[in-house]
Amino acid sequence: MNTLGRSLRRIDAADKVTGKALFPADIDLPNMAYMKILFAGRPHARIVSIDTSAAEALPGVLGVFTAKDVPNNEYGLMEPDQPVLCGPGSNKPYADRVRFVGDQVAVVVAETEEIAARARDLIQVEYEDLPVVTDPREAMKPDAPLLHPELGTNIFTHDRIRKGDVEAAFAQADVIVEAEYHTPMQEHAYLQPEAGVAFIDEEGRIAVYVAGQWTHEDREQIAHALQLPEDQIRVIYPAIGGAFGGREDMSVQIVLALAVWRLHQRGVVRPVKIIWSREESIIGHHKRHQYFMRAKWGATKEGKVIAAQVELIADGGAYWYTSNKVLGNAVITCTGPYEIPNVWVDGYAVYTNNVPAGAFRGFGGPQGNFVAEMQMNKLAEALGMDPVEFRLRNVLREGSLMSVGTPVPPGVSIAQVIEETAKAAGWRKGPEGWYRPEDADDAIWPHWNGLPKPHIKRGIGFAAGFKNVGFSFGFPENSWARVELEGDEEIERAVVYIAGAEVGQGHHTAMLQIAAETLGIAPEKVEMRVSDTAFTESSGSASASRLTFMAGHAVKGAAERALWRWQAGERPVSVEFTYKAPPTTPFDEATGFAEPNFAYGYVAAALALEVDTETGEVRVVDVILGNDVGRAVNPQQVEGQIEGGVVQALGWTLVENFIQQDGYVVTDRLSTYLIPSVKDVPPRIRPLILEYADPRGPYGARGMGEMPFLPVAPAVMHAMRHAVGVWYHDFPLTGERVLAGLEKAAA
Amino acid sequence: MWHTYLRPKTVEEALQMLAEAGEAAVLIAGGTDLMLDLQQGRHPPVQALVDITEIPELRALEIRGDELFVGAGVPLNRVAASPLVREHAMALAEATSQMAGYQIRNVATLGGNVAHALPAADGAIALLALDARAEVASPHGRRRVPLADLYLGPGRSALKHEEMLVGFWLPLTRQKAASAFRRVMRPQGVALPILNTAVWLAREGDRIAQIRIAVGPFGPVPRRATAAESVLCGHAPDEATLNAAVEALLREARFRTSRYRATETYRRHLAGILLRETVGKAWQRAGGE
Ligand SMILES: Cc1cc2nc3c(=O)[nH]c(=O)nc-3n(C[C@H](O)[C@H](O)[C@H](O)COP(=O)(O)OP(=O)(O)OC[C@H]3O[C@@H](n4cnc5c(N)ncnc54)[C@H](O)[C@@H]3O)c2cc1C
Repeated sequence: MNTLGRSLRRIDAADKVTGKALFPADIDLPNMAYMKILFAGRPHARIVSIDTSAAEALPGVLGVFTAKDVPNNEYGLMEPDQPVLCGPGSNKPYADRVRFVGDQVAVVVAETEEIAARARDLIQVEYEDLPVVTDPREAMKPDAPLLHPELGTNIFTHDRIRKGDVEAAFAQADVIVEAEYHTPMQEHAYLQPEAGVAFIDEEGRIAVYVAGQWTHEDREQIAHALQLPEDQIRVIYPAIGGAFGGREDMSVQIVLALAVWRLHQRGVVRPVKIIWSREESIIGHHKRHQYFMRAKWGATKEGKVIAAQVELIADGGAYWYTSNKVLGNAVITCTGPYEIPNVWVDGYAVYTNNVPAGAFRGFGGPQGNFVAEMQMNKLAEALGMDPVEFRLRNVLREGSLMSVGTPVPPGVSIAQVIEETAKAAGWRKGPEGWYRPEDADDAIWPHWNGLPKPHIKRGIGFAAGFKNVGFSFGFPENSWARVELEGDEEIERAVVYIAGAEVGQGHHTAMLQIAAETLGIAPEKVEMRVSDTAFTESSGSASASRLTFMAGHAVKGAAERALWRWQAGERPVSVEFTYKAPPTTPFDEATGFAEPNFAYGYVAAALALEVDTETGEVRVVDVILGNDVGRAVNPQQVEGQIEGGVVQALGWTLVENFIQQDGYVVTDRLSTYLIPSVKDVPPRIRPLILEYADPRGPYGARGMGEMPFLPVAPAVMHAMRHAVGVWYHDFPLTGERVLAGLEKAAA
Repeated sequence: MWHTYLRPKTVEEALQMLAEAGEAAVLIAGGTDLMLDLQQGRHPPVQALVDITEIPELRALEIRGDELFVGAGVPLNRVAASPLVREHAMALAEATSQMAGYQIRNVATLGGNVAHALPAADGAIALLALDARAEVASPHGRRRVPLADLYLGPGRSALKHEEMLVGFWLPLTRQKAASAFRRVMRPQGVALPILNTAVWLAREGDRIAQIRIAVGPFGPVPRRATAAESVLCGHAPDEATLNAAVEALLREARFRTSRYRATETYRRHLAGILLRETVGKAWQRAGGE
């Protein structure tokens, strides 16, 4: 029975299509009360006083909670630098400050949502406004207003890589390319705005139904803020309506638990529910970081990159979130999947009064790879060399030394990925290397048949990319699973317990397939019991393209062990297994020397687009996306990830425009923050699923969920260069920006 | 949000419901504008909604005498797909087929688009260029009014509370006349356009005998670009005339910068491009070649 590699129908498909699956907002418990949150609504201020008396006096209000009600008023995935509720009376210094518009100030619980909303509006908060800083480059200056005065600076991470001697190498380079880039923020815009229901469960625990990415981390953060033991908190994930990194940090988890707990202490035992509106969701959770970047790279006329110098400034917004890790990935990926002997990188993560920035599909990879691929395409052009051939002369190969001074982990397939993708897009290998024949276009891009109007220009672009799979920089990375077997002669039923979040990517189906494959039984015999801290240990987060790799190992390991015992005659069998990933190390502070990751994913894209030079409109007509997934556990799900990743990346590149003004979010709803509609999806996206086994992956599988995002933006810029002769360093490519570029080039 | 949802089966019944409920009741068609306005507090709270989509008269789309009648309650997808509309009012077919996305077009109506009174409403802009007359029903009877008379300001129609749109009357196409519509927006299908342009013209030999141009958003209310019309009328649409028409249009236009949609400069730039293209297209279509 071969279950692996088959496009098994997703186990959650029928329930989601018929509406049977319950998302957090669909869950109603008897005798439930409703919560509303008072957000700060201003970017930087000290709260002088909060008067909740009018709100509390409103009939139907069960409780109003502020900073003084939070036992330990701090939280944060990496650093607890954010108050749960901002205001006076807190146990932490400076917790009386709000630092961005979405900071939470008070929560109201009432009999109905309407009463809770009215009571929220009755809360009187006296603010003393503080100076606002929104440009991270300004925030780095010594006299800038400080967001966290106790630190004495807004720069909260500075990573360095110092490998070889870049200055000496620049002196030897035949060509040098220097440029400044800016990549914009992005809103996750998942289907399901934040929501949750908290209650006291039958064992007296505070239980929270919520959509997150890591049950056990949510539990830990709730416990930390409430100063309760972790086993008194229970986190359950029902169906989750998309995540993309946007649910990695806390939204409603802590305040829901806080409210239920405080009410319980007053003898009011009521479940509490909250649903954020889209507007609350957009100001309430973090965004993709905007990056300001500078790069100077040098190459020889033989086509070897010999030096790369990059400066990255990440706008972290008001709090830490995962900025240091995002920055770390950008620092590594900003020199691309290439072996470069001399590298100098400075990366900074900086506080501003913007909405915090954190995890979003790619996690620093899109920004880092953008610089690298822009520089590569520009260098190829400066050398008069084919961009595919130029890349292949520089790619990482087995044993290559990375910028961090250590060898790349085994299973390096970037050369194959570039070659296969290029071939599919019409490139050929000749005696002098890779080239693209003049007549390649019509056969490869069928949507290009016929001559366009004179003001429509066509271009083809190419880019590659890579990113780590799994947590990095020394984080002890592991994943737990349990497998139970029942039956007599034959295994009649297998039950798999995991905590990994099914965020829409198909994780539970993939794990079911790995279990069935390992046990050698039909997939129908496997039952999944998932995502409840009451009966699972930690599988780690649904992030960093890691779940198939990590939880796949855990499920495979548990299933193998269960099978051994079964074969030894044990009935029934119950086995737990925790997979521990190969260790990694953090950057050396002075040189960046590290073994930061145990595995990477590799990807490349070729795409074709048309530019209307009159209106500036850009239309991508065809995308070929080659991704080495090691082993496609479920090919259809892999295709889904590729198509979704490409469209999301095209949204970032062409359409989406997150606008903040002096710290206020201008585009706070989906009628102003526009995301691609079905009409913006290219007529063709061709997933090229490559399977070069990762020697460290379960059944050879590699992580892949983030990879398709990585090469899209630089491939678009490359195609724009071919179409209209302009290098765009800044996006989204709105019609206006495209036209401005054309005008500048003409002048 | 409301307490009563009413489903009249005739125009008279609907008018009576409106009259009885007073200001507390409003008409709802597809609800694609109204529901958002209610939810986001741009529309004062209401007690009753009067759903007009089950009134057969408002769902009619047919030739009546020497005019084309499009009911105010016809969903956009039906308008876009109608062979009659394509034959007699190509600009309207082009406009409705590009508005919103497919699901929205299944329920959104032309009447709602006009009554909502936004200066860039695609349907309204096409109807203006096509010289449509709106049939308005009130407790005092029915009347037909030119579309341009329906507007007071951005989002404010001249319809009284107890009145309703029954439908739109459009002249049938004639020899050597045709229309065209184009818009620029981003991304496709989820918002009002950055700019749109609709043109209807009649040819006489190699000259434009008659022309109507509507551009949205052109000012606070949907209206025609009459200065550009005057420049083009009686002339061949050659390069010099088109240049002059664009200049006239830009002099008359009151474009604005919207913070998240587009700048005034970009709109001015697009206005010329859209005008040239729609005039050119209508001209070709009217020539029959
Ligand atoms: C996602 C999205 C995309 C959109 N894209 C576009 C677009 O591309 N172009 C565009 O122009 N618009 C667009 N719109 C706006 C909207 O869909 C249109 O204006 C639509 O035609 C409104 O029709 P409706 O039937 O839904 O109106 P409703 O919302 O039902 O009504 C709107 C207003 O008209 C009144 N009304 C309705 N029928 C009558 C009647 N018969 N007589 C008098 N008053 C009446 C109502 O009382 C209300 O005030 C979009 C909207 C959404 C949500």
